[in-house]
Order: sequence, then structure tokens, then C-alpha cells
Amino acid sequence: MKKHPMLKYLKETGPQGDRLPLIMCPGCGSGQVLNAILHAVDRLIEEDGIRKENFVFITGVGCSARLTSHYLNFDSGWTIHGRTLAIATGALLANPDLRIIVITGDGDTGAIGGNHFIHACRRNLDLTIVCLNNGLYGMTGGQVAPTTIPGVATTTTPYGNTEEEFDLCRLAEASGATFTARWTTAHPHQTMRTVMKGVRKKGAAFIEVLSQCPVHKKASPTDMLKALKKNTKRIKSGETAPGDKIPIGEFCNIDKPEWIQSYQRVIDQFAETD
Amino acid sequence: MNNKHVLKPGTYYLQGAQACLEGAIAAGCRVYGGYPITPASEIMEHAAQRIPQVGGRFIQMEDEIASACVLLGASWAGKKAMTATSSPGFSLMQEAISYGIMSETPLVIVDVQRPGPGQGYVTTSQEDVMQARWGHHGEGSTISLAPASVQEMYEFTIEAFNLSEQWRTPVLIMTEETVAHMRERLVVPPIEEIQIIPRKKPQDLGIPPEDYLPWGHDIVAPMANWGEGYNVNHIGLVHLEDGNITQYDLEMHDRCVKRLQAKIEGNVDKIAKVETRYIETCKHLVICYGSVSRTAIEAVMEARESRGLDIGFLRLKTLWPFPEDKLREIIESVDTIFVPEMNLGMMKHPITEALRDRCKKVVSIPSLGSLHTPEYILSKIHEEIR
Amino acid sequence: MNKLHINPKYCKGCLICVEMCPKKALEPSEKMNAKGYILPRDKDMSLCNGCKMCEVMCPDFAIAIETEED
Repeated sequence: MKKHPMLKYLKETGPQGDRLPLIMCPGCGSGQVLNAILHAVDRLIEEDGIRKENFVFITGVGCSARLTSHYLNFDSGWTIHGRTLAIATGALLANPDLRIIVITGDGDTGAIGGNHFIHACRRNLDLTIVCLNNGLYGMTGGQVAPTTIPGVATTTTPYGNTEEEFDLCRLAEASGATFTARWTTAHPHQTMRTVMKGVRKKGAAFIEVLSQCPVHKKASPTDMLKALKKNTKRIKSGETAPGDKIPIGEFCNIDKPEWIQSYQRVIDQFAETD
Repeated sequence: MNNKHVLKPGTYYLQGAQACLEGAIAAGCRVYGGYPITPASEIMEHAAQRIPQVGGRFIQMEDEIASACVLLGASWAGKKAMTATSSPGFSLMQEAISYGIMSETPLVIVDVQRPGPGQGYVTTSQEDVMQARWGHHGEGSTISLAPASVQEMYEFTIEAFNLSEQWRTPVLIMTEETVAHMRERLVVPPIEEIQIIPRKKPQDLGIPPEDYLPWGHDIVAPMANWGEGYNVNHIGLVHLEDGNITQYDLEMHDRCVKRLQAKIEGNVDKIAKVETRYIETCKHLVICYGSVSRTAIEAVMEARESRGLDIGFLRLKTLWPFPEDKLREIIESVDTIFVPEMNLGMMKHPITEALRDRCKKVVSIPSLGSLHTPEYILSKIHEEIR
Repeated sequence: MNKLHINPKYCKGCLICVEMCPKKALEPSEKMNAKGYILPRDKDMSLCNGCKMCEVMCPDFAIAIETEED
């Protein structure tokens, strides 16, 4: 039987037992985003000649995070909730040749990880941050998140959410990220191409992917995918989407000094000259 | 100081904070992530100057949690990394320490203790010594050292890095404001006399990636770095030796956590160090650690010389894992054990547990916010012993 | 004609492949895997143009399309 082409990048089994199928619920968007990312990495290895050994995936905690838990046939870390970007900072400082892809969720980035998120963007560290945004906390049972829109009932907003939500792309850009974009799980090819751009980008690349949680939303995955397609509008940088549509596309792409490059000037002052 | 090198052999006059950082550099630390906090900021400021001089990377992070997390990432990517903080920041770092224990990540954290609870004050203390062992959530042990001088800030920091790499564990340097801020002579020995223990790697043992068990092969598993093609998946959940977390059962859970515990607690004899003086036939004993030992030894010597008291001195250089067996080996029978501490009595508990049947009484000599003077310790001894 | 491969061990019957196929070449089958998930099957593979949208969309890496080039 022909295997899915991306299975070469997953650990289907190990010395102490099988690892696949993925633990995700049927129709969860996480696996789709991983699929798109692996396609992107596959193309980068082939087109750019990046060594497979140099790719590192780091996640925090949550449904998005499970993707690295023990499935990836890459170096990875399934780490502490919200602290992914701080850990990624340490890894980059230790070995700037690593191509670090941070996979995180809307709670991991926008709530507990908020401080590390804005500072990683401010520092313009050479990281590719893929944020799976399903508008809630999936792993723990469907609680409200900083990305839940007003009025929505969740397990911790049983009377409807009374708070406004973050626009994580705007937050990233305002904090200093030099590349921001948003797609959905209904746009896998676009996601793949944007992830490639993000890895190639020398600086902080923030790619938000709206993703479906069929279990907590009590809807079918295919209905949710169709809704994601319907409720979003692709815009170019500088445009605004019509009021009822969520803007998707690549928003910001500027050039600013990247952290490792800037700090290298400090180190170079002291490099041995004899 | 504009020195492009590791500190060369010779005699220096340094602050404890500086000596600590120089020890880290001598041990090979090349990543430092920190956050300012009194009275630990001097270590970070010295790092900001010196780490780039030796080709490393320094970063001031946005908080203490981020600083501790930088160490995790840097260690996995192959570099020795350190941070320094004080008591409130130490509380913030506990989650990362706990994760470091489960993921068996070498890293070094310096806690320049100050009084608590809360903001407490900015003077000296030893109030975090229990937190060093029990502050992280869950089971599993750390290694904690207690330097007592500027020289030891240098030497114990090198030792901390060695222990962390050798045992694949977070190591805590539980120092105090007294030691971090004091200035004393530091003697740096010739390079060949400084022992540096590197991380044991699967490549060194001839284990190829396809046969590598990230938490197997030995009680301390060889550690592959990121970027070397070993496809290491670092995790914080209980796990099997090959890194699998799906196959959960109670036996695996038990085995995983007990191995972490046994790795440290089962090797106390190889890890923990003590110093003793006047111990052979002493009738009473002072047990202390950190800067308190500097004034305690003065009290002991005064008691012996001028007052004729047969009192011995034992200093814990390692707080955790607690050297219970070593203490029981050294002490057969004494009357009173005095434990002067800059807290209301913390290490007195494991000391009492270890030596309850070897003594008549354990007496705590607390001091909050300042170092005991020799006279104060002596007065407390005399209250007990007429 | 292109050939459809479904891995019954990994498929979770989400039917995203069926719904998102631009040529509507797939349909749900009556077959369940060991976990009770309804597996997709080929409805009419002559409609399949080898775009591999299903491969890119699958959350569980459970599907593969074998084209003549492969």
C-alpha cells in the first residue's frame, strides 16, 4: 500500500511500541497544519538544501503541542505551557544554525505566553512561529481563550463571552515581528508556501492558522472547514476586509536587523585577531 | 575587566558574584539568560560584559521564567547555560526546574538568597534551602550546593556545571547576598588542574541514531544535542526509555519517576561533600553551611580555645542530596548539635532526622536578615551548655 | 487511472478528503475500521486528476494517491 508522503517525517513506531495514529480527535485541524508544515519543510530541504538535522520543532502545551510529543522524526521539544518562545530563544542563542519552527496555540501564545510572544517579536529572533488558533482551550475541555469572540459560550463563559479578542497578527506586528500572515486549515497550499517564506525570512515570522475544533464546537469538521473558507477574505497588505469577514493573507513583510546578527557585532569586537 | 579569555591562572580580588560568573566561563558556559533582581544583578551584569568576550551569547530576558527557560533550550541545543536570581525569582523558576528534572536537562541556576516571604528584604538569608529540594512540583531531586566564600563561588560553580552534565540534572547554587557581595581573594589554578566533565553523548558510545534510546542505555542516559541528527523529542510527561508516551501504564510511570529519583538519591556518596574540623572525639557539634560557616568556625575555635568546650564543626558543602549516610558515618555520638542558619530552622530538619539517635538534642540558632556574629553563636551555645 | 490508498489504522473517518476533493472522486464507504470510523473509498477514480488535495488536507496522514508518475 502506498504511504502518505509525509510519513517519512513521522515516527510511526519505536522500539517500545507504535506511536501513530495521532492522538488528535477526528477532523482536528492540528494534523492538517502539521501536514502543511511538513510539506513546506520537505520543499525547503529539496529546494534550499537545508539539512534535515537543522530543523527543530518546539511546542508548548495544548492540542497544538501534541504534534511534537513523540511523533516527529526531527529534533523537537514538547515543553512548558506558554514558555515555548523563551525556550526557542535559548536554543537559537546556543546554535543559530538551527531552523526553529515553533508550533503554538492561541492560549499558549496569547495568554500564558503573551509576554514571551511580544518580546520574541520585538527581538526579531529568527524563528518561524505557527500559531494554531481554534478560539478556545481544546486540550483542557473547551474553555474561553483570548481569541474567543464576544458572545460565544464556552465552558468558562457559559453565559457568553463578555471580553474582546486579540488579533494575534496585529499584536505580532505591533511588537516588532517582520513577517505576519494568517491562513486557515482550508488553505493548506497557501499555508505551506507561507511557512516556507517564514523559514526563509531572517527574523520573526508569525503565521496564524485558524483551525477547527469539531469536538468542542460540536460541529462536523467539513462544515467547519467550509465555514472557515466562507468567513475569511484574502487581502493584500494595507487593505481591509469587509466587516463580517476575517482577513487572511500575508500582511507584513519588512526587513529589520535580526537578533543574532545584531549581537554578533558585539561578539566580533572581542574576536581573537592574533 | 576587558579580558578576552577564560580567567588566567593567578590571584584576583573579586566580588563573589564575579567569581561565580568566572567559574561558569571556566566551566564552558556560553549562554546566559537573566533578569535583574537585588541582590543577584551583579552576576548578570558581569555576564553581560564577559560572555560575549569569550564568544558566548548573553540576553536579558523579560522575566525570570523566561530566563530559566532559555537554559532548557540552550542545553538541548548543546551549550552550557546559566542564570542567577534571588528568592522571588527562584519561586518563578520552579516550573522550569521541574521540567528540567523530568527532561533530564543539564542547567545551572544560582539563587542569591534574600529574606522572605514576599518581597521580604534585600539583605542576606538562607530561607530558600528547603525550596531548593521541595520547591519544584512533583517528585525528583535536584543537586544544591552552598558556597561559603569568593573562592568557592568560583570552584562550586565549576563543580555545579560538572555535576549537571554528569548527572543530567538541574543544579542549584544556593548562595546568599553575603557571599555574592563580599570581596575576597580568588586564586585561579593552572588550567590543567581544573576538571571539566563534558556531557556523555551517544556518539561517544558508538550508538547510532537508529539505536538511540533518549532515556535509556544507562541510569544517566547519554544525551544527543539538537542538530546532530538524532531526532531527539524532549518531553515533560512520564515516558518510556525510547521516548514513547502513548503506552501509559502504572508500571512505566513508576519506573520512570523512580529512576529519576534513584539517579540522584542513589548516588549521594558520589555527589555530596562535607567539611569537618575537630570532629574525632567532639562532645558537641556545630553543623552549618554557606556564609554562616565563616562565623560559626570562629565561634567553635573560640569555644575550644578560650572556654575549653569540646565542640566540633561540620559544614555541608552540598545541601541536596542530603548526605545522611555520610553524617551518620562521621558522627557516632554527641550531646548537642547546634544548627545556626539564616532562617528559623530549615536544614535542622534533615539533620535531626539523620542524627536523632546519635545525639541528645538538636538546637537551632536562627537569624533573620543578617549573618550571625561569632559572639552571638557562642552566646547561644552557652545558653545550652553551662 | 490514479489509485487511492487509505490506511485503515490511521484514518479517523473525518471525511475531509471526501468533502474537499475538487473533483468529488471519493465517497464514504460502509466499511468501519477497528475503532468504528467510517473509511472513505473511491467513488470514481477516473475523475481524480492527481491534485493530491486530499493528501495535503488529511489530518492523520492516512491517505495517498498513486499516480502514473509515481
